[in-house]
Amino acid sequence: MENLFNIDFTKISTSTKKEEFDRKQNFDLFLKNGLPNKKNENWKFSDLNLIISKNFKKITNNDNSKLDKKIELINDFDHNHIILINGVFKSCDIKFEEKKKLKVESLNSIENFKYRSNNNLHYLNKALSLGGFILEVQKDYKCKKPVVIYNYFTSNLDNKIINNSNKIKLNQNSELTLIEYNIGEKSKFFKNTFEKINIDKGSSLKSIIIQKTKSDGYFYKNISSFQDYNSSYQNFILSSGLKFNKLDIDINLEKENCNCHILSGLSLGKNEHQEIKTQINHLAPNCKSYQKIKNVLEDNSHGVYQGKIFVKDNAQKTDAYQLSKALILEDQAEFNAKPELEIYADDVKCSHGSSSGSIDADAIHYLMTRGIELQNAKKLLINGFLNEIFENVAEEKIKTFLEKCIKEQIDGI
Amino acid sequence: MNSEELKKQEYKYGFTTEIENFKAPKGLSEKTIRFISEVKKEPKWMLDWRLKAFNRLKALKEPDWQKPKYPKINYQDLYYYSAPKSMKEKPKSLDEVDPKLIETYNKLGIPLNEQKRLSGVAVDAVFDSVSVATTFKGELDKKGIIFCPISEAIKKHPELVKKYLGSVIPISDHYFATLNSAVFTDGSFVYIPPNTRCPMELSTYFRINASETGQFERTLIIADKGSYVSYLEGCTAPMRDENQLHAANVELVALDDAEIKYSTVQNWYPGDKNGVGGIYNFVTKRGACRGKNSKISWTQVETGSAITWKYPSCILQGDNSVGEFYSIAITNNHQKADTGTKMIHLGKNTKSKIISKGISAGQADNTYRGLVDIGVKAKNSRNYTQCDSLLMGNKCGAHTVPYIKNKNSSSTVEHEATTSKINEDQLFYCNQRGLNQEEAVSLIVNGFCKEVLQQLPMEFAVEAQKLVSISLEGSVG
Repeated sequence: MENLFNIDFTKISTSTKKEEFDRKQNFDLFLKNGLPNKKNENWKFSDLNLIISKNFKKITNNDNSKLDKKIELINDFDHNHIILINGVFKSCDIKFEEKKKLKVESLNSIENFKYRSNNNLHYLNKALSLGGFILEVQKDYKCKKPVVIYNYFTSNLDNKIINNSNKIKLNQNSELTLIEYNIGEKSKFFKNTFEKINIDKGSSLKSIIIQKTKSDGYFYKNISSFQDYNSSYQNFILSSGLKFNKLDIDINLEKENCNCHILSGLSLGKNEHQEIKTQINHLAPNCKSYQKIKNVLEDNSHGVYQGKIFVKDNAQKTDAYQLSKALILEDQAEFNAKPELEIYADDVKCSHGSSSGSIDADAIHYLMTRGIELQNAKKLLINGFLNEIFENVAEEKIKTFLEKCIKEQIDGI
Repeated sequence: MNSEELKKQEYKYGFTTEIENFKAPKGLSEKTIRFISEVKKEPKWMLDWRLKAFNRLKALKEPDWQKPKYPKINYQDLYYYSAPKSMKEKPKSLDEVDPKLIETYNKLGIPLNEQKRLSGVAVDAVFDSVSVATTFKGELDKKGIIFCPISEAIKKHPELVKKYLGSVIPISDHYFATLNSAVFTDGSFVYIPPNTRCPMELSTYFRINASETGQFERTLIIADKGSYVSYLEGCTAPMRDENQLHAANVELVALDDAEIKYSTVQNWYPGDKNGVGGIYNFVTKRGACRGKNSKISWTQVETGSAITWKYPSCILQGDNSVGEFYSIAITNNHQKADTGTKMIHLGKNTKSKIISKGISAGQADNTYRGLVDIGVKAKNSRNYTQCDSLLMGNKCGAHTVPYIKNKNSSSTVEHEATTSKINEDQLFYCNQRGLNQEEAVSLIVNGFCKEVLQQLPMEFAVEAQKLVSISLEGSVG
């Protein structure tokens, strides 16, 4: 493991001696077990150690966050924005909202250095994180326009590792739509992100992750969210086009009447590997969770879904649903799923379904008899398969924008 | 059956047979293995095989990924061989068998006396470490079917045993399978010659009697080309405060166009209401559909044992082969079950079906864990999985852990699972028609399990239905 990393701690500007010491200690903790491999149940289908050591040598930490190109902003709908360069907070423009209602700041110091974790990547993140952003919505404020996070990656990132962490907090009865928009130049790097989300009583967060350009980057993102009474969290994942991506989503429904949705539609191309891992903890009665994961796999791509629903003994009247569907277009492609239920309460409605297979031959035949070519017929069916995911996005303009993005992806098949 | 009767029936097989035993010295060592081999008068190759397994065992660790955790087993504090003294010399016919043993089996409802048998089921009765008697041998011999204790097969049919033993479960597959390879004592051996349909159900009845004893039996069933066999397995043990280990290996081989149907009603002593005692049932069962168009079907009703930990699996090697798994797992009080199946699709056009019903009550934990793996070459394969769980009370748990791997585009895998409690409306409907709560629950649960119970051979179905009701005793209200 030492050979894989070539970390230079002098590149990280630290405020105190103690911080420097803590960072090094966390890095030592990380080195003890290294990158997770398939012996670890959470990484059973995506052996990170193998994937990273095959593609990287002497990984160094990045200290460059200078913008090398102008970022093209989205014109399809009005929005506030935050710009992150290589994971580091650069600037923000909150022009559509009332003053002081939406607070965006750069996250400088990383808290909880001492916090024990069973995720080894957490230690790595704490050792090397250069910050990120803090976003806080004030009490009773409903944001008028969505906030787009332009996550830009520069071209000189080959063989580098980026660690950052973000915090999002919604105070009581607030509302926010957040769009993470990933763009970047071609370079091969490894990004390790930890994000913490707090959704207070009666608040609602809608989060959309979308990828603009194909990327050679290797991404790992851990999202842990905590929800209070009557809160709602919707998560749309449309991040197609990454070499490797693992989203590790941990949702804690801590108080009554919360709900959460995870909806994902991905189309994976050559040499791509994406995994969505979720853990929904139903810790209080009357909560609802809904997951729908769709994958289109072509060439030699590899799709993974590991979902777990945990229902605590007092979480009666839980309604939890989990569905994963995969379209396998070619024989080299592979889809693995592990939809898991762990239930300790009896008055619950929990179900899951998973299916994988090829495109329905009858449907293709039907379209072809109506004069549509094979390739177009396939695209039409794939489009229909994925469209279902973002149909739940209420804002018309955002929906049209997403539709456009997905269409571009499918046309690339 | 009213609840009073149910209570009396709690575990009716919990009696002990007072019989003098002949045991191997306590502890797991090369000496013990040599002792077992010597007592069984085994040929040298068998002893070498055992020792090879024992050497591999030293390097292995007990697996720890399972859901039910258990206190560490002291393998040096167990007897690995225990047999009734009267069995030291194998009796030549049933008349020579110790009447006490015959009585035991009569008490269990398994009369070994052929004349008294109602329907044609040939039984091999295994008591602790030895096979007591095998019935209907003559009739089976006529057809060329071999049905005998495996210790006898090792001596009489070494070519078959050598060829197939360990071919499905390799000698050092995992800890408990390797332990079994080293110390297995007896079990059944079945060989069905080509194009033969076994005229009756074959059955083995396992009984653990001696205390501080582990039971390690090994079953090997070979269905040659175009043959069919249906095999039943039943198990009971006395009520004891200690936990006893049962680590069996079962291997099935189906050649071209052959079919094996393997049914189990497992009713080992589950421990008392407070979770004291009971059997640890750590069993490895695996079948290989080696030939084209072959079929293996597992049906299991798991009601007993303190901990059940087993995954009857199918390796679908032959083209067009079929694997099936039907399971009911009922856990009550402090019982724990972690059971399911593995369907490994390797050949073209292979099909598999998994129906699993889990019921938990009391403080029990019930896990379905299964793997469906469709290989790159398994074109046009198909799998359907359904696992339903029923929860009774909020102190128990029901878990589903399916692993699904699909590596080609022409195959389809489907998985469905639900977890719920007994429908209030259905209960109300039954109550309205004069059924009391317990009867109503029993009826609904039997309906819930119907899909699996239907798969059992007639002789077992009735018994299994009763078992389902008894196992849930005390869990309602």
